[in-house]
Amino acid sequence: MRPSGLKSDVRNRREHRKNSTAADDEPVQPPAGCWRWGERKINGASVLVERRAVWVNSALMVALVCAAIAYLCLGSLTLMPGEVIIALAGQGDMMTGFMVQELRLPRLVAACLTGGAFALAGILMQTLARNRLATPGIIGIDNGATAFAVASVVGVSVSLAPSAMALTGAVTAAVLTFGLAAGSGTQGYRFIVAGIGVGAVFGAITQLMLARVAIDTANAAYPWTVGSLNARSGGSVQLLGIGLALGFVASLALARSLTILRFSEATANGLGVNAKVRRIQILLLSVVLTALAVAVAGPVGMVGLIGPEIARALSTPRHVPVVAATLAGALVMVLADLMGRTLLTPIELPVGIVTAIIGGPWLLWILMRPQRSHA
Amino acid sequence: MKVFARAQRLNQRTLLLCLLTALVAVSLVSLLVGAGNVSPSQALSMLLGGEDSEAYFVVWELRAPRTLMGIAVGMALGVSGALLQAVARNPLAEPGLLGVSAGAAFAVALALVLGASAATLRISVAQLGALIGCLCVLGVARWRGVGNDPIRLVLAGAAFSALLGAMTSLMLLFDQRSSDEVRFWVIGSLAGRRLEDLLAVLPSAVVCSVLIALIARPLSALALGERMASGLGHHPQLIRALVVLCVALLVGAATAIAGPIIFVGLVVPFIARAFAGPDIRRTLWFCLPIGPLIILAADIISRVVVAPSELPLGVLTALCGAPVLIAAVRARRLPTL
Repeated sequence: MRPSGLKSDVRNRREHRKNSTAADDEPVQPPAGCWRWGERKINGASVLVERRAVWVNSALMVALVCAAIAYLCLGSLTLMPGEVIIALAGQGDMMTGFMVQELRLPRLVAACLTGGAFALAGILMQTLARNRLATPGIIGIDNGATAFAVASVVGVSVSLAPSAMALTGAVTAAVLTFGLAAGSGTQGYRFIVAGIGVGAVFGAITQLMLARVAIDTANAAYPWTVGSLNARSGGSVQLLGIGLALGFVASLALARSLTILRFSEATANGLGVNAKVRRIQILLLSVVLTALAVAVAGPVGMVGLIGPEIARALSTPRHVPVVAATLAGALVMVLADLMGRTLLTPIELPVGIVTAIIGGPWLLWILMRPQRSHA
Repeated sequence: MKVFARAQRLNQRTLLLCLLTALVAVSLVSLLVGAGNVSPSQALSMLLGGEDSEAYFVVWELRAPRTLMGIAVGMALGVSGALLQAVARNPLAEPGLLGVSAGAAFAVALALVLGASAATLRISVAQLGALIGCLCVLGVARWRGVGNDPIRLVLAGAAFSALLGAMTSLMLLFDQRSSDEVRFWVIGSLAGRRLEDLLAVLPSAVVCSVLIALIARPLSALALGERMASGLGHHPQLIRALVVLCVALLVGAATAIAGPIIFVGLVVPFIARAFAGPDIRRTLWFCLPIGPLIILAADIISRVVVAPSELPLGVLTALCGAPVLIAAVRARRLPTL
């Protein structure tokens, strides 16, 4: 308990008298840097809100909105922010309205959703494996989803099929990676290299399928292999939106367990978290989010690594920054796609290439830093 | 004890002979099976002295160069894998995984985008790229911490390869012509390569064999540790530099011929060590037949499985090599070199 002034002491005592039926005797002061919300309203239950998390999330949100406006403004035809807002409201010039509402807005939504999903899946998987490099992209789950999605493009062509197929592929890859690494545990680098091996197999299978089909079919499937927001299908985006919303709520519900799972399994069990069950839940959530995102944008590497990394750098180590990671992932994705669209006009870079060029050196830098820096 | 050692050595010699025989057999199969409208029996009767101009053309003009190139590429990749593993003292160090091939591929793509197309230029450029890739990776390996952990080194190599791959695709986006040329090359295949490419590689292959013959002994001394090697009168830094040069020349040449082929440099020394034991000199001898064996076998499979079209060779080696990587990683105690 922190030392408190006379006034708050008096108030505490008064409260204590009011809630004397409660089992615990003294209301605990919130820890440093936190707010306590709603302590009197609902049965004395309260929520701790970290002040810094609030600031970080608001700042990220503001940055995301700014990036989104920039995303809507810039492109082959540059618009003023005012024009964009008018067009978003459904008024003004027909041409501008079409540009903003039909072309750029859906792509912006897809970028936000995929970025958020990749980063959320990334931070879940990192916490699960207790290794900041263990993102779904690196341990081969992206590639599994891609291989199956390409199979769906090459084989059957139903609009919703990629999502279902990507999900199957992601689950297959996850089962393979975790199964094959079973002896060596999910910690450490062996697990990750097993994942790289699984990813290589699925990558080869993708190449194999692309090499076998006619060139126009291969071209249709090409965005899947690099990660691009060019060829997203409406159905997949809606599915991803629903999935991300549900997954976000689920990971908020899991947030406390996530914080505790960073410790050893024994500690987690001792603190009342059923580590085994929670692990499976987290793994499933991460795999599903990855699969849905891959079904929209293909395997965009490194967002699952960079988003959580930014979130962790901004947050305190007190909790796993799920919200901040999601926001940061969306921000990274929007900015990367904006760069890809505008930097080298008239050539449009697939967003996967932009993130790989930004994220590759980042990953090397993480690897070359001294050992202590783990999630 | 001495008798036992001699028996073992004899055993290894027979083993080596068996492998060589197998290599001859596989090369023969490679001549008999594959692209072109000539059945194995036709090809066989032609080889035995029959008069069949079509079979003659297909076998000697199409399949024989391809077989030769398969042998050359297999030897180069196998030996360079063994060398790199010895010098990095890491059983997972593999030119394809560590980004040496990616460096070569990047350099070739760069040269093509800049307008080059001559065969000789391409090979020296690929070798230069491989050298830079090799130096980068070993630079990372000597960085604090990373070199001690074989698996982190692989991860660094994977990141490096991914980065180079993205930069290669970035360049190709600018240039449709090169993009068409590189797209097929980047997969890794022996199909449609010309014999001139192989001839252009010949000088560097000779240089490499001489170098390897010179450094094999010091290299095996290096396995005892840096101090021991200097105590025995060797110069570890010089050996390392020469090995890196060899690996770059070999991988660069192989990549220039067949495109980046991943995992062969991992699998071949893996098998060779199982036969030959820890001594790098014997391992190198065993790599010589095993590398071509694997490449040729994969090439034959790539021709047969989906005939009349072909699978890229790189895909097949990745499919075979990944399980070996996983097996190596799963081993409770990582083998150290």
